Amino acid sequence: MKLFKIFILTIIFPTVVGAAIHKFYASTTKIEYVPQEQSVQIITEIFTDDIQQALSKRNLREIHLDSKKQTPADVLLLRDYVFKKLVVYLNDVKQEYDYIGLQYDIDRVKLFLEITNVSSFERIEIENKILFDTFEDQQNIIHIKTPNARRSLVLDKENPKGLLNF
Amino acid sequence: MKLLKFLSFILVMSSAGFATAQETESTQQERKAGHLNNNRFKQLYQEFSSPNQYRSASGAPGPAYYQQQADYKMDIVLNDDTSVLSGTETITYTNNSPDVLEYLWVQLDQNVRASDSKTSLIEANGAAPAQQASSFVNSYMGEAFDGGFKIEYVKDRKGNNLSYTINRTMMRIDIPKAMKSGDTYSFDIKWWYNIVNHTIDRARSGYEVFDDGNKGYVIAQFFPRMAVYSDVEGWQNSQFWGRDEFALPFGDYDVSITVPADHTMDATGVLTNRKEVFSKTMMNRYNKAKQSYKTPVIIVTQEEAEAASKTNVKATKTWKYKANNVRDYGFATSRRYIWDMMAVKIGDKDVMAVSLYPPEGNPLWEDYSTIVVASTLKSYSRMSFDYPYHKAISVHAKSQGMEYPMICWNYGRPDAEGNYSERVKYGMMSVIIHEVGHNYFPMIVNSDERQWTWMDEGLNTFVQYVAEQDFGQWYPDAIAPNKAYPSRRGPAKKIVNYMGGDQDFIAPIMTKGLNTYNFGANAYSKPATGLNILRETIMGRELFDHAFRTYSQRWMFKHPTPEDFFRTMEDASAVDLDWFWRAWFYSTEYTDIGVKDVKKYYVTSKMNKQVREMIEARGMKESDLPPLVYLVEEGAEDFEESMKTQTLNDVTTLQSYIMDNISPEDRANLKSPRFFYDVTFEKPGGIPMPIIVEYTYSDGSTKRETFPAQIWRKNDKEVRKVVASEMEITKIMVDPDEETADIDTANNAWPKRKKLGEFKKFKDNVKN
Repeated sequence: MKLFKIFILTIIFPTVVGAAIHKFYASTTKIEYVPQEQSVQIITEIFTDDIQQALSKRNLREIHLDSKKQTPADVLLLRDYVFKKLVVYLNDVKQEYDYIGLQYDIDRVKLFLEITNVSSFERIEIENKILFDTFEDQQNIIHIKTPNARRSLVLDKENPKGLLNF
Repeated sequence: MKLLKFLSFILVMSSAGFATAQETESTQQERKAGHLNNNRFKQLYQEFSSPNQYRSASGAPGPAYYQQQADYKMDIVLNDDTSVLSGTETITYTNNSPDVLEYLWVQLDQNVRASDSKTSLIEANGAAPAQQASSFVNSYMGEAFDGGFKIEYVKDRKGNNLSYTINRTMMRIDIPKAMKSGDTYSFDIKWWYNIVNHTIDRARSGYEVFDDGNKGYVIAQFFPRMAVYSDVEGWQNSQFWGRDEFALPFGDYDVSITVPADHTMDATGVLTNRKEVFSKTMMNRYNKAKQSYKTPVIIVTQEEAEAASKTNVKATKTWKYKANNVRDYGFATSRRYIWDMMAVKIGDKDVMAVSLYPPEGNPLWEDYSTIVVASTLKSYSRMSFDYPYHKAISVHAKSQGMEYPMICWNYGRPDAEGNYSERVKYGMMSVIIHEVGHNYFPMIVNSDERQWTWMDEGLNTFVQYVAEQDFGQWYPDAIAPNKAYPSRRGPAKKIVNYMGGDQDFIAPIMTKGLNTYNFGANAYSKPATGLNILRETIMGRELFDHAFRTYSQRWMFKHPTPEDFFRTMEDASAVDLDWFWRAWFYSTEYTDIGVKDVKKYYVTSKMNKQVREMIEARGMKESDLPPLVYLVEEGAEDFEESMKTQTLNDVTTLQSYIMDNISPEDRANLKSPRFFYDVTFEKPGGIPMPIIVEYTYSDGSTKRETFPAQIWRKNDKEVRKVVASEMEITKIMVDPDEETADIDTANNAWPKRKKLGEFKKFKDNVKN
């Protein structure tokens, strides 16, 4: 646990000899456990232009998101990419998602995913490698909320995984 | 006596929030220990330093306020082939302080990228299973690039060497004779350094190499600069670690910059040799631009910039500038720059809004940059003071946003085909508004950035939000199909994730930037949101805007501290905000207010059970009491269904009182409430925000009421409030517009609504 904490600290202090403001590469994922519904509800929010660029590179063709040119195949690629790169383990067991849908919000796309039939867990491990394949500086921020606790993680290429005990 | 005591007992019981039965018992228990004043509304005497002759309690500069002056005369040469910048400068320093100065401190900020820089040494790390190649090289393979200052000499005006000591990013100069109050001293420094490629390590200043091999230079922190000496810090002694920016005195600058003759340049200050460096065509276009208030006029076209990019002349050209009363200096130069300008009326003066960008910035930059600059100057001038300089320049640098007097660099670049996303467009507009806005904070309202990042970033991000919304209104076509400008920071709701987050990684705003965990939220978003809440919710626009303008104008061309800001905001508005500064700026508390419980009462003249038990316990009879009006809770033992349909006319004690004491004319003004609600508000959060309540009535109508934050002064956990209503209330909602940054809105409504989170809402929508 101690080692992990040190990781978080080093990540949150960016070592960049920084500027006032610059384009940053980050995604935010909110994970909420709702015991009454036995459900883990996930909203992952990614910059549309960044994910479009990554998907186009990976698939060697232009992918169009939030545009009239968007095809169902483009959306499937996005979904499968997120399924592959964002992995949640509850008590060390890899979880499957229900895909609820996606929504565009100005410059970002939000994906809604759900893990069902979760009666309880003591340990949650999250791996989020979204966009690490395209941007060296990508940071993926995770906020986890249970009825009793709120915790945060910042994942990057060097530390793509985080474990929290409840 | 006894009766009076009893009546006051009933009163105390109902107004205080705590239980009564236990109270009598608690006298038996062990006596509680005493405590200091821990009231959240306590004045900030402990946190603030005492007002004095330099800084008044009103928040204004005091009668003995002083600031130092540093004037510069500089000759700068850029070698485009080697990317070396060299210069000689004469600094004339005036000691306006009452103190005797035995030495002078000069800042060498470029040394942050010297090969012996300690910046990376203060970052703790653990062995990572994998590491980015760049970060591996930085961590373990030493520093390849030396971008530190090379000081060739420091001499007095007669040419004698002065002894100096370099401590990393600071240089102490030992002057031969101590400077007394009022003394002026001049000395010369000759220096050079290797310019860094700013696109690699995101430096604030440096060059970018374009695909055709040409470079675009955005140059700042490029010369040894005087440190600030002030009444609060003495000499500034906090090193530049790379994050917390600059503290600089004001002065007059006389600067000559020599660059390749085919370069286009702009810089801080008035260009004094325009005729020498402009062609006739440029001059004609420039004169047209001075008359153009609606659209920019191109001074150097894209074709001309592209043609110049194919040459590489060896001849040089010297551009000469004079800038008065600025705290710093910056310039941008390249043969690839397109240049456009327009005029904007500020007060009764014309200011030039200017943009400088390579073809890589188009089509975005020619469409928006200059009009955004013009719009920003109007908004900020309205919120603070009329822009005092003659121009404001927005330069396009690849991934950079950084500010200097009159000039700033901004990102936002279309792809190779000229397409750009909404994010690039709004990112570009927002960063231009932000960096141009920095002309006001901290270039003119010159706070100490090294100590307090939030004083310029927070205030600036707040006004940026106002300016973004103005821009959306003034240029609706530029933001279509959005109806309002999509601001990232400002509205209370947007700070909830941060303030509701993990407390282990949150620092109070009143923390040096270097020591914060989440720099952006801490120094930019949270203070900006706090000011927005003051303006929209706590003070109102009229009081806030007057106080904010007063602060800006009091400290224009001066050096304010956080207290000068806090004090002025209160002094100019007559709103005591100590509680707000403590909660929002000095702590990591958050807002969470809700409705805990609602009890419904009806009025009767018949004695209720509670009072009957009380008087019996005291051996009194009903006839001992004066005429009383009784409240009975719905569903209580002594509640009768008939009470529901009763009106106040049926309550005999009340009617007799009215007949005896209120004239028939005045009786018509009396309200006649039939429904009484005892509402308990709870406050799990630490911040005592106002309770903004919306009541919904049985006919669907609504009414709002605000209880000021001071309602929490005697009970920090919960307060009760009786709401008397002529109509039945069906719903009570706290903070209906989410304007207080309440981190948990699940408890905001009565009856408890099934709170639909963002996830649930979306899921339900998908199903339907």
